[in-house]
Amino acid sequence: MSVTSMPPHRLAPSRLATSRFTLPESVRALRLEFKRNAVPYVLPLLAAVFYFNTLRTADGFPPVWTLRASAITDHMLFEFSAFAGGLAAWAGSRDGRRKTADMVATTPRAAWARLSITLAGTLSWLLLAFLAGVAVLYIQTALQATWGGPPLWPVFVGAAGVTVVTVIGFACGVFFPGRFTAPLVAIVALVLYQTGLRQALSVTASGTYALLSPANSPPVVDAGVYYHAAPDLSIVQVMFMGGIALALFGALGLATTLRELTPERGLASLRAALARTDGWLLRAVAVILVACGVAASWTAFALAGTAKPDAVGGWQIPALHSAASDQPVPAAPACTSSSGFQVCVHPAFSFYLSDVAEVLDPVAAEIAGLPGAPVSAKEVASMIGGQDVPSGISGNPPVFEFTAERVGIYFGQFLGIPDPVGWREGFQQGLLDPFLAGPSQQAGSVSLGPAQQAVEDALLTAAGTNVPATIGKMLQNGQPIAGPPAVRSAAQRFGALSASARHAWLAGHLAALRAGTITLAQIP
Amino acid sequence: MLTGIHRSFGKNKAVDGVSIELGSGVFGLLGPNGAGKTSLLRMLATVLPPSSGEIRLLERDPRGPAARREIRRRLGYLPQNLGYYPSFTVVEFIEYFALLKEMPSAQVPKAVALAVERVDLGAKAKAKLRTLSGGMLRRVGIAQAIVNNPDLLLLDEPTAGLDPEQRVQFRALLRSLGETATVIVSTHLVEDVGAACSEVALMSAGKIVFRGTPDELTARGAGHGVGDAPLERGYSAVLSAARS
Repeated sequence: MSVTSMPPHRLAPSRLATSRFTLPESVRALRLEFKRNAVPYVLPLLAAVFYFNTLRTADGFPPVWTLRASAITDHMLFEFSAFAGGLAAWAGSRDGRRKTADMVATTPRAAWARLSITLAGTLSWLLLAFLAGVAVLYIQTALQATWGGPPLWPVFVGAAGVTVVTVIGFACGVFFPGRFTAPLVAIVALVLYQTGLRQALSVTASGTYALLSPANSPPVVDAGVYYHAAPDLSIVQVMFMGGIALALFGALGLATTLRELTPERGLASLRAALARTDGWLLRAVAVILVACGVAASWTAFALAGTAKPDAVGGWQIPALHSAASDQPVPAAPACTSSSGFQVCVHPAFSFYLSDVAEVLDPVAAEIAGLPGAPVSAKEVASMIGGQDVPSGISGNPPVFEFTAERVGIYFGQFLGIPDPVGWREGFQQGLLDPFLAGPSQQAGSVSLGPAQQAVEDALLTAAGTNVPATIGKMLQNGQPIAGPPAVRSAAQRFGALSASARHAWLAGHLAALRAGTITLAQIP
Repeated sequence: MLTGIHRSFGKNKAVDGVSIELGSGVFGLLGPNGAGKTSLLRMLATVLPPSSGEIRLLERDPRGPAARREIRRRLGYLPQNLGYYPSFTVVEFIEYFALLKEMPSAQVPKAVALAVERVDLGAKAKAKLRTLSGGMLRRVGIAQAIVNNPDLLLLDEPTAGLDPEQRVQFRALLRSLGETATVIVSTHLVEDVGAACSEVALMSAGKIVFRGTPDELTARGAGHGVGDAPLERGYSAVLSAARS
């Protein structure tokens, strides 16, 4: 058909006019923005960084939900910040870079609506990518974890982080539409994140900025296991970042007005700019959003200033804190007593129950029936009442209580650096130290005397543990009171006795041994 | 209708007291580089506010947001420096602008298809814009300008980059559009004006120094030696007179 023969196809203005709510058109435009967004081109690189930075790091943690989820804010948000900021700035600067500003400016759709559609297309991709990463992380954890479920607050904090960086980057692109804006924003996002991380890891970790930054040091290994992880700080972080995002989104609504302002013309410039831009209703909504965003961020900042350490290693904010989160999380322990010595661990750590039992059973058998000897072992929370809980023997009948932190070296296997010998010796010492030093003593704070050390070494050797040359601990007023060779010799003598002879000697001399009145020479 | 329009950029007067009233038809805007054609077109496109003077477009004052929005619904604009989104296809780019022009969603596919066909880009409808030549991109720009069947169509150097065959087709399209709409074509190619425009204005130093039909402009060139074509001689004669 020739263009000249084509009949004029005219649409009456009234038919072109649409209702105030043009959702279908907006959705169609969003579909185009989504389809032709720059984010998919960068996804392979983002996926590679995610694998090496986040997934491998999380894989090095024991499969405990709260611990694994900490990788979302500590690692995942790090890489997403740079990508999200840069990509959003690229999208925001598009009309400036591509010289389409005049063309889109002549369309009736408000500038804010246009920008919102472009922003939504980019943000949708980034949030989808973020949630896909979270899904991979959580599926991997679900396949390995033995208890609990995926915590949602780290996801909310991460999503808020991605959103705020995206909006910041987009706003930078809109206000400074240059080709270097995107890389600059990506670099600044990385620096800001690192600054937040450094603050969080510093000695003054209670600084308000450190608390508001989603970057943080990994929590204790049993965080969220015995007690709920209080969401107080997460709520404040989401509020802070959401407030910034909301305020900047509102500022985008005023972008046209702000850009047309020329300071030298003062009020005349403001009046002209207001006349040129979108209607008063949109401007009013934009101003309200800016005000709400600033108020939310300011409130979050003020709330973060009232944060104080909670009883289980987290932070609580009095105005937000729920006493319910201080209550223990009910869980039936996973137990085994195949050799008569019952060992119980929290079900979240049941993956190492058999290993723990296999290590404790031989030493428990060596001291079974002796005064103060534990009849069972039980795993407890590593922090209660704001204090670290050391391992030790307590109760009647005596029970050896240990924490997941005590199992620490065991977790090296997740990082690919297993040390089974070191772990076995250290964990067995954790039981024998308080036994030989006395029931009131706790592992970790125990300083054994030479005779006690010799007996411990002998018992460890009898339990099948290869004890290295004994060093340290045998000090009195800073001076060695017996050299390692003497201790080793006594340990070899005692270890050469039969199990029943060792047991009988211990039964008769345990009180004196604990009191420190037995010398190395007195050990048979 | 423009009344006493001025527009300055610093001390430079781009448009200096232009008053003009136009009805339907194709109106050619001629002038040398820097005459103020693009600034005038940008003001008509509601992109650039005048420093002083009054503009009424489609019987509305574009200073009011509601009126400006209604004008923009019925406006088509092709800028001199055409920008585009390289990753969009031809259809997607035109559809995007149709949606920005608030066309009813149901009418968009048909309007886009018609616009693509009018600029003879049907074979390249699914091609990414980054793969198109300069002339084809120009046609995409024209298509986005006419997709909403505007009542006021502003084209800044629309034939730049078009091959001769396409220019002939485009002039025919202009005549077709001018039957019911006001089409303002800014160009420095006088043959476009002669072939497609029913009326022409010549700008120099921000002022309109001639307004009439192409034949009247041609008549001004009688006896004037500069230019290969009669219309060019008229153009040169008017400019010389304006500068002297």
